[in-house]
Amino acid sequence: MTALLALQGLGKDYGARKAVVSLDLEVQAGEIFGLLGPNGAGKTTTISMVSGVVTPTRGKAIVAGHDVCTAANAARASVGLVPQDLAIYEDLTARENLAFFGSLHGLRGGTLRDRLAWALDLSGLAGRADEPAKQFSGGMKRRLNLAAGLLHEPKLLILDEPTVGVDPQSRNHIFEAILALRKAGMTILYTSHYLEEVQALCDRIAILDGGRLIAQGKVGELLAAHAEVGFEVEVEGEEFAITTALAMAAAFAELDRHGHTLHVAPTGPLAPVINAIEGAGVRIVTIHTRRPDLEAVFLELTGKSLRDAE
Amino acid sequence: MLAATIKKDLLLLLRDRGALGSLFLLPVVFIAVFGSIFGGGSDVAKVKLAVWAAPGDPKASSIRAALDESKMFEIQEQPDAARVSQASTDDDVVGLVIPAGVGAEHPVELYLDPAAPPQVSGPILGVLNGIVSTVINGPPASGDAKLVDRRAPPGKDILADVSGFQIAVPGNAVLFGFYLALTVALSFVEERRTGTWRRLLASPINRRMILVAKLVPFFLVGLIQFAFLFGVGIVVFEMRIAGSLFALAVMAACVVVCATTLGLFIASLGGTEKQVGSIGSICILVMGLLGGCMVPRVVMPPVMQTIGLFVPHGWAIEGYFDVLVRPGTGLIDVAPQAAALLGFAAVFFALASSLFDFENG
Repeated sequence: MTALLALQGLGKDYGARKAVVSLDLEVQAGEIFGLLGPNGAGKTTTISMVSGVVTPTRGKAIVAGHDVCTAANAARASVGLVPQDLAIYEDLTARENLAFFGSLHGLRGGTLRDRLAWALDLSGLAGRADEPAKQFSGGMKRRLNLAAGLLHEPKLLILDEPTVGVDPQSRNHIFEAILALRKAGMTILYTSHYLEEVQALCDRIAILDGGRLIAQGKVGELLAAHAEVGFEVEVEGEEFAITTALAMAAAFAELDRHGHTLHVAPTGPLAPVINAIEGAGVRIVTIHTRRPDLEAVFLELTGKSLRDAE
Repeated sequence: MLAATIKKDLLLLLRDRGALGSLFLLPVVFIAVFGSIFGGGSDVAKVKLAVWAAPGDPKASSIRAALDESKMFEIQEQPDAARVSQASTDDDVVGLVIPAGVGAEHPVELYLDPAAPPQVSGPILGVLNGIVSTVINGPPASGDAKLVDRRAPPGKDILADVSGFQIAVPGNAVLFGFYLALTVALSFVEERRTGTWRRLLASPINRRMILVAKLVPFFLVGLIQFAFLFGVGIVVFEMRIAGSLFALAVMAACVVVCATTLGLFIASLGGTEKQVGSIGSICILVMGLLGGCMVPRVVMPPVMQTIGLFVPHGWAIEGYFDVLVRPGTGLIDVAPQAAALLGFAAVFFALASSLFDFENG
């Protein structure tokens, strides 16, 4: 595989604040690459630099062989940006919106008509193509937002939080569209703070925090390296007994208490942990296995929960 | 709860510069301008009067001496009558020829722009009639023969039947034409608010080209607005255009270019929809006031008249007015006004280009 997107020491400052410190990563052709991080991590600034909206302060971003600074128009022509905001004209119809955004990328005549038909079909808006966007539901507007970024067949599609505020039906529609695009070989840079989405869709991910890249790799590799299988143990008992149970079980596991739920990561077998808890006079109500997920990876790498960090 | 609401709204208001400007600055500017126009006082400007009096004629000499005694005029002595009419072609100079044998048979010739508003022409005519009549007949009485013959300075003729529409249209056309600037500025705010601005920046188009492309539709709308306003004036109100239609169209194009670039400049200052709306309205109203859209510049004090040259409205009104009421006005006659408007447009565009924050999307 070849790198369709290469970031080399890419950074952006706003005054004294370093929004992105220095990013080095590559996105291979045909993959879905996830940028994961809390609000303020630098995701949107990064994709703004890649899409040519914002000029980098330092470093390079190469899209399909074109430097976003020195060959800006060629680089922009290779990118399809789907911003987090519903970047559409509400008073124009879906068709008029798409025709405008297509013409910005040089589409004309029959080519434009063909691409319009394709994008309307993909977004499920063909039946309402001639209605003003302001009459659409939030999910339909988001699908139109997606279609507008796809018209010119970009080599790299950038999706910035594409499912924010979307109803389940439209979310499924967007997922299906993304999977269809991957099947067709499109390279996708996907940002989200919905961990489940990133985990389900992305081949590889990069985790950003405070403008820095803190990890990157395949989802499975990151899970294996940074997240352990654990258990959630729901307990009942006196406060003193629970505190005693935590102290006794600490010899056999790493424990984290959230009210009456204990997050347990055993260092060995689970049985001694259970015996220690019950031995302190605490009743175990339920035990659930906790699968490793990206939330645990983020917690492991940054010491904080992704949701707490937002 | 009440106190919290009051405190919150006070904080919001105090941080809204546009609203504060509308509430405090705008009335002060209007009071200052209108006060200086209508307030009179000791610093009222004298009328520049280019005078030639027939030598050796006692009545002419008496009128000439009476003019000196009048505090109204700043006398500019001329060597002959021809120089008087020539001098009166200056916008701020009035000409007066006092012939030999001055009287009902040979009235004094007053060269005063026929387009001068009554606030200007009235006092001049009144004082001169009084002086001439007193010298010739003793104290003035009603029914005196016409002793002051008002004439148009060379090149300052106007239509014989100037309608109210021809007087009202230039100021209003300019004032409301420049409101286009606000629409332009708000369209940029809207692009930023909705996020479409990011999409425009992400397209393979030069950034300054995006600005120009955004302005072109407003330019066209401005031209249509102009055609509509003047079309209604001509068709419905039978307004006549004394000068060339082509010159009028060129003036309109220059005004619209200036208004659209002013809108870009206002947009380049940044801010929310509320801020741009307030600041833009204040700018346009104050410029309109200083430029003579509400009160003719010619009745303003000299300082205000000079300030009026630093806003495009003054030039625009002059150009429109000449084309509408002065027969034979062609492109060459309004070239200075058109050039000034294009100059303002160039300055607005240059400032906007350097100030515009493309990345603040």
